[in-house]
Amino acid sequence: MKYMILLFGSQQDYDVLSGRATDRPAMSAEQVAAMHTHMETVHQALAESGELVDARGLSAPAHARRVQVRAGAPVVTDGPYPETQEVLAGYTIVECASFDRATEIAAGLVDPDAPGGYVDVRPVLDGVEDLAG
Amino acid sequence: MSELPVEDLLRELAPQVLGALVRRYGHFDTAEDAVQEALIAATDRWPRDGVPESPRRWLITVASRRLTDLLRHEQARMRREDRVARWALPEQWRAPAADQPPADADDTLILLFLCCHPALSPASQIALTLRAVGGLSTAEVARAFLVPEATMTRRISRGKQRIRDTGLRFAPPTGAERVDQLAAVLHVLYLIFTEGYARTAGPGLLRADLSAEAIRLARLMHRLLPEDAEVTGLLALMLLTDARAPARIGPHGELVPMAEQDRGRWRAEQIAEGVALITAALPGGVVGAYQVQAAIAAVHDEAPRAQDTDWAQITALYEVLLGICDNPVVALNHAVAVAMSRGASAGLALLAGLAGDVRLADDPRLPAARAHLWEMVGERDAAREAYRMAAARSTNLAQQRYLNARADRLAAGDGSR
Repeated sequence: MKYMILLFGSQQDYDVLSGRATDRPAMSAEQVAAMHTHMETVHQALAESGELVDARGLSAPAHARRVQVRAGAPVVTDGPYPETQEVLAGYTIVECASFDRATEIAAGLVDPDAPGGYVDVRPVLDGVEDLAG
Repeated sequence: MSELPVEDLLRELAPQVLGALVRRYGHFDTAEDAVQEALIAATDRWPRDGVPESPRRWLITVASRRLTDLLRHEQARMRREDRVARWALPEQWRAPAADQPPADADDTLILLFLCCHPALSPASQIALTLRAVGGLSTAEVARAFLVPEATMTRRISRGKQRIRDTGLRFAPPTGAERVDQLAAVLHVLYLIFTEGYARTAGPGLLRADLSAEAIRLARLMHRLLPEDAEVTGLLALMLLTDARAPARIGPHGELVPMAEQDRGRWRAEQIAEGVALITAALPGGVVGAYQVQAAIAAVHDEAPRAQDTDWAQITALYEVLLGICDNPVVALNHAVAVAMSRGASAGLALLAGLAGDVRLADDPRLPAARAHLWEMVGERDAAREAYRMAAARSTNLAQQRYLNARADRLAAGDGSR
């Protein structure tokens, strides 16, 4: 069974990561390097155990476009999110033995330094037949 | 026997073996799979049993046998599907012996032309080149590009499908076609290099493996076509750019601009080789874009300190490059060179002219260049805002952090720079 682990972040989180202070100070080079080392270690272990399917980070919410269709014509909004709104920042898809194992993996992806930090785990459906039940 | 020599040997032989198989039996796509399997078998057995007397013949024998199996299997499947199967199996059809057996070198070159054919998508060209000519496994190529193996497998099979559907033949292109296809090969090698040198996404900035592989393939090209000045130019450009890699990244993965790099860490031998190559190539007639870019890289590399850089010469070389290609990034670099040789205001005036270019609309490079020049002339507020804008446009973390740090330096009222 596949599970998608969803990671969240706001534009502010991206800003401090990119070295720009907001209400919070910018992250130092050491902090950024430590974060990357941690993510790399986790994903390397998943690759070696054969549980990793895919992992991707998304660019900052400021680069997002929202597309709506009104009267048959697309209407595009650039950077549609408020600064502090938590949006999808990245995902890791794993294929593993159980929901509990996926939960265990997910715990390793929660930022221990962010108060109230969290990730979500969602079982991935294989196809339309799953939806039909 | 250590692992490295076997691996190096295999990767050198890979395109020769594939070339020999395709020349003899056709079926590029299936032959390519067969060679991959032979390489895996050799990786497994040679370190254990020793390298055979003729490694090349060993590989061709194993790969031919595997090709026969694969084709039989395919024929059986087609028969089951009630389709006509008229493929020749390797033992049924031998190409008539030519007066002179084609040199391995020719085969490798034809393979490069085939894998980089303009009919293929850039993603497939790159994947196929690294596998069929570079001798890398799908897993290795996938790892280099940070994509799942299944994605890379699809890219490779799409490329092969396209070769089959387009009816591309295993033969050297001629005339005008050859000129276009050679340019395509060079472009693919250049893309592999830049992908390694400045990756567009993800945390780090350098992927040494891809740059090294691009250089290896460019060396191979240069050995095959020593008289081609653009091939030489591309190899020189890669060597001269890659020579700076050790100084380009700081201890925590941060980007260090060329002016602030510790030049003692540049690779002197690589610079010497690149300079020698480009010096030999330049007088050879029509000058191409890779040669000019290599010449620019050489001028940078030869300056003992940043302030010794011969900006007047770099400016002149960018003017030559502008005459060859209409590219806004070249125009931007030219403006920066003008700023360094004739003063920041002259450079800013040129950059102002680029502001309306739609090709640069979302590009962080224009605001970054303006920021640097505004900083030079003491327009601190404008510089700071431009650095921020460039950081916001960039999707490369190392670049963003560098640009934001420059902005912060101006905000802190540090007048030293």
